[in-house]
Order: sequence, then C-alpha cells, then structure tokens
Amino acid sequence: MGDIKHRDKENDPDRMMRKGDKLTKLSLTRWTSDWARATPYYEQAANLFKIAKKTEKAKEAHERAAMGQERLASPWHAGKHMESAGALAKELGLWNEVADFFRRASELYIESGKPQPAAEALSRGGRALEDGLPDEAVKMYLEAVGIFEEEQREQMAFDTYRSATSLYIKLQRYTDAATMLLRWGQSADKCKATSTQCKTCVGAVIVYLYAQDFKQAEQCQNDLSMIDAYFQSEQNRFAEQLLNAYREGNPEEVKHVVKSSGVINHLDHMIIRLAKQLPVGDISHLAESSGAGGEAAAEGLEEDDLT
Amino acid sequence: MSVIDILTRVDALCQKYEKYDLDRQRDAQISSTDGFLKLYTVLNADVETTLQKANEAATEKNRATVAALNAEVRRSKAALRNEIPKLEKLAPRKVKGLSREEMEARPDLVLALAEKIESIPEGTNLGNKRSSWGNSKSASNNKMEIKIDSVSPEDVMRPEQYEHSEESKGFRQDYETRKARQDQGLDTIAEGLSTLRNMAQDINEEMDRQVPLIDEIDSKVDYANAELRTTNVRLKDTVNKMRSSRNFCIDIILLCIVLGIAGYLYNVLKK
Repeated sequence: MGDIKHRDKENDPDRMMRKGDKLTKLSLTRWTSDWARATPYYEQAANLFKIAKKTEKAKEAHERAAMGQERLASPWHAGKHMESAGALAKELGLWNEVADFFRRASELYIESGKPQPAAEALSRGGRALEDGLPDEAVKMYLEAVGIFEEEQREQMAFDTYRSATSLYIKLQRYTDAATMLLRWGQSADKCKATSTQCKTCVGAVIVYLYAQDFKQAEQCQNDLSMIDAYFQSEQNRFAEQLLNAYREGNPEEVKHVVKSSGVINHLDHMIIRLAKQLPVGDISHLAESSGAGGEAAAEGLEEDDLT
Repeated sequence: MSVIDILTRVDALCQKYEKYDLDRQRDAQISSTDGFLKLYTVLNADVETTLQKANEAATEKNRATVAALNAEVRRSKAALRNEIPKLEKLAPRKVKGLSREEMEARPDLVLALAEKIESIPEGTNLGNKRSSWGNSKSASNNKMEIKIDSVSPEDVMRPEQYEHSEESKGFRQDYETRKARQDQGLDTIAEGLSTLRNMAQDINEEMDRQVPLIDEIDSKVDYANAELRTTNVRLKDTVNKMRSSRNFCIDIILLCIVLGIAGYLYNVLKK
C-alpha cells in the first residue's frame, strides 16, 4: 500500500522503462529508435530500480542505458553504465555476464580514448569475478596489467598487481604468484619506487621458498642482487639470512630469522602469512647437498680474496 | 697622536726616571747567581696569584666561572707542588754573600712555601686523601665526591693501584646495567623508527602516484573554467539584447496597433 501511495509518475521505474521502450521499439509509426530521448528514461529507471533493490531490472535498465549512450556516441557514459550493470550482475551471481559486461565496458573506454579507465575497469571486473570464475578473473587481471604497462602508467597498476598476486596465492599457483611479484618489481623499478620494489623482490623469494623450490629461490635471489637498489636494502640482507638458514637445513634458524626481522612486518599480509609458515617441508636434505658445494664456493672466494 | 707615539714617549720617560723606581732596583739587586732566591720569588709570586684566583672563585656567583677558576687553581697548585722538590734541592747550596742564619732558614722557607701551597682552597673538600685510581671513573653521584688529585710517581708504580677494588667492581656493574637498559631503550626506538620509515616511504610513493593525476585535474579544470567564462559572457550579451528597452517599446507599440486594428474591425463588423 505504501508503495502505491508514494509511487507517482516521476518515481515509477517501470513506467520509465516502458516509456523508454516505446521510444526505441520499431513499429509502423516509428521507423528509427529515438535513443536521445529514451536514454534519460532508462538511466532514471536504473537508479530507481537500484534504490528499490530490484537488481535484475536495474541491471537490464543499465544495459539499455549503455546501449543508448553508445548510439549517442558517448562511449564514456556507456562504459559507466556497463560497469554498473556488471556490478549488479555480480550480485546476482551471473558470472558470465559479469565478465562480458566488464570487458565491454573496458572496450568502450578504449573507444573513448581513455585507456587507463579501461584497465581499471578490467581490474574491477577481475575483483568481481574472484569468487565465481577465478580463472577468468586472472585473465582479466593480466589484461589490465598489460594495458597499464603499455600506457606507461605502471604506478596505477600496483593495486592490480597486488590483487592478482593474492588471487594466485589463494589458488595456490605459487610460481605464477612469484612471477607476478617480479613483474610488479619491474614496474616499481620503472617508477623508481624502490621501497615497493624491494618488498616485492623479497616476496618473490619467500613465495618460491614456500613452494619448496629452493633452486628457484636461490636463482631469483642471485638475479635480484644485481639490482643496485635491492642490493643495498635491508630486504636483501633478510633474504640472504633466510637462504643461509635454508642452506644449513636448520628449521629453527629459519623460524628465528623470520621472527626477529623487522622487514617481515612491512610486507603484504598474505606474504607475511606464508613467511610465518616457513619452513615448509623437510629442508635438512638441503644441508648435505649444498654443504659440499657451499664449501667449495667459499674456498674459491677465499683464494680470490688474497689481494 | 697615535698609540705608538704614546708608547715611545712613556718608555722614554720611564728610562729617564729609572733611578726612582725602587721595586725594580730591589729586583736587580737580587743576584742572578742565587738560583734558590730566584726560584723562591717566582714561586711566591705564583702562589699569590693562585690565592687571588681562589678568593675570586669563592666570591663568584656564576658556576661556570667558579668551575673554571677552580680548575686553574688546581692546575697551578699541581705545577707548584712539582717545583717544590727543585727548590728543596737548591736550598742547601752555598751561595756567596749570604749569612749562615739565612742558609739555615732556607729549608724552613721551603717547607713554609709548601704548606702555603697546600692551604690554597680549590673549591673541593680540603685535606685531599690519596684515593685509589678507580675513583676517577665514577659518575657524579650525590653521595660520592669528585676527587681529582695528582698521583705521585711512587703511587703510579705500585701494582695494587691497578687491581679491582670493591668500589671499582661496583662501578663496573653499575655501568654494565645502565648500558644494558640503554640498549633496550634504543632497540625499542629503532623498531618504532623503522615502522615510521616504512610508512613514510609508502606515503612518498603514493604521493608520487597522485602528482600526475592532480596535474591532469588541474589542466582540465582550467580548461573548463575558461569555457565557462566565455559562455557566461556570451549569455550575458544575449540576455541583454533580448531585454533591451528598444525591443520592449517596439513590442508595446505593435501590440497597441494590433489591438487598434482588432477594435476597428470589431466596430466595422458590429455595424
């Protein structure tokens, strides 16, 4: 009853929809759709449906509004509507539609000549899809990151990198996570964000260790120590200590290194969680295998040091 | 006249009236071969100046100057004490032209001088004790007094001087505990500082990210502002033209004419 009382001409979303449809449906009397007049109706209808929490209808209204804006040659607004439609579809759990909507939104943004919002739209789509279609989400993240890198706007990409990494870790795709971290580090290097760079590098080493891939971790650490900024940082020292503890095959030492270092507290929380669980698996075998090699290397160093 | 002129004139005058200068003559009478007497007079003069400084220190209000004066006094006392043995050596030497009594009196003179030196107050407690080596390391405790004294050569050579006494062991421990506490405090500060550093670095990077965005906003807003201004001006012109009084009058006149024509037609048709 209350609904009917308050519902007047202006606030009736169904009415708005009908009006819009009337203006766009082709029939004998109407040869071309009048999108210019229909679009505001659709937009209003969409807002009202959202307030009334009629998600399905709101989504439809947004879709139509987006189509209208497209026809009116304003892809920017169309993109905005598509994103709203995508967010509503996420609430409804229609994952395929979510993916489609966000992709379309991103394309529209590119059409309007604004690649950065396009990448951001893909990133938002990825976040929306994390629960439903994680693989699709990953793909969207990668696309977003690609666009950011192309446009030289890596600084805005940090958030996307972060979400992508956390998704990979959730999916337990650790090598991918480490690769993403290294890519992040590369972007940070380009923007001269040394602090972020060092943190991501250490994160990559930790992820490799967590995945029980000691060789990769060592290789990674060696590659990274070539980078000046990383080499002089405390994160590098921490990584060295960690790897040394691993080489000795001493789990107590590893735990001690992780606990006593101040570096860990400033990393991403998901990486902190991984680090707290180190060492994973049996690392005592590493002691024997790398012990002999380590000694030879140490001796070689000493001989060279006889300057 | 300049200062140099004044100096030369004063020198000339002094030279002229030299024979009236009694002090100088008295000094000159003292034979240059009497080493004892020379040294004695010099030491006496030093003792007088030191005593003067000590008196000044006693009356001075400013603690810093008091400390400085006391330090001076102590220094000169130590120097004087070192000179005493030399004087003692010179005392029994025979000098021409001196009576026997004077010769005997000389060692007494030396002793008297030594006592006088010791009695000069130096701002610390009188009656210096020859305390152990460890005291010089203690922090200024309210109960402990700072005793700074010169150590004679025999004392330095004594081996017991360098071993740990009870006091020095206590001081050592005290020092260790305080150092440990300071280290603890410093560790806490270091942790806090590292957190601050990280936060500051993150803020820095965030700001770097925001700078180009704000520049973009700036230019866009400038553009919008300019557009708005021109639009406003044009709107004002248009509105003025619309409302100009000339148009208004023309409208009224035409309206009257139309009404007149309508009235005329009405009259014609009524007939």
